Amino acid sequence: MKHWMFNCKEVTRMLSDSLDRELSFHQRVGLRMHLLMCKFCSRYQRQLLFLRETMHLHAKHSEDMEPLIKLPPKVRERIERTIHNVLDRPE
Amino acid sequence: MNPKNSSTDSPTINPETWVDHYGDYLYHFALSGVRDPSAAEDLVQETFLAALSARKNFASRSSEKTWLTGILKHKIVDHFRKKAKEPSGDNIMSGTEALDKLFDPKGQWKIKPAKWDVDPMKLYEQREFMKVLNDCLSGLSSRMASVFILREMIGETTEEICKVLDISATNCWVVLHRARGYLRHCLEINWFTSMSTED
Repeated sequence: MKHWMFNCKEVTRMLSDSLDRELSFHQRVGLRMHLLMCKFCSRYQRQLLFLRETMHLHAKHSEDMEPLIKLPPKVRERIERTIHNVLDRPE
Repeated sequence: MNPKNSSTDSPTINPETWVDHYGDYLYHFALSGVRDPSAAEDLVQETFLAALSARKNFASRSSEKTWLTGILKHKIVDHFRKKAKEPSGDNIMSGTEALDKLFDPKGQWKIKPAKWDVDPMKLYEQREFMKVLNDCLSGLSSRMASVFILREMIGETTEEICKVLDISATNCWVVLHRARGYLRHCLEINWFTSMSTED
């Protein structure tokens, strides 16, 4: 028989999986029951969502924010030259 | 060098201004993804070259920046695909051993997650936080980082990641679970506990 009482370690795994795939009915019910009782796993869930949100922002990168890292000047010149060469080439 | 240009609603593209407008941004994005400066430089150059040869297909529906970022994402996926073919001696899970100490043998929390006091948007703007996040990402094995970056930064599905990196779906889910657990723990130790003392 399947057990319904998942421990915290199992719950953290299911919380992560729920970000990538659909959990089974059994997992969803067990997970919800656990989260009702366990403040630390609820916290863990919020923190995983925060991590995901942060990575999305990291990727999108606000227009107004100065990039943390800049293209090194030499590389910038090299790339600019390459672009000019291609643009100057007759089609 | 004003990154806020007015091209968002303009149908034209101006390759002459690309490096000025998007060079730093694309480099930052590439470097956050591949964590190797010379690979990131090459990816940015390849992105511009691919964009140049495809510039007739540029649909003005999206901004130049969105379009270029899309091309760069494809380049990053290709980069990880090539890297996955190289023989790698390191264990994909290496670096995440600390996770096993978070639980007791019964699977209950031994080191409980601390309370985080966060406002995601504000926090993101904090350079120091992003630095800590990048340092934490560097703690992952390069193959684990590939999986995590493809999923959370590039937004690939796990099915696609399995194909790109040639791993099984189950392996992919375990790797993502370990990567998230590691990063959460790393941020907690290196950022949040220095901000809050409540447990």
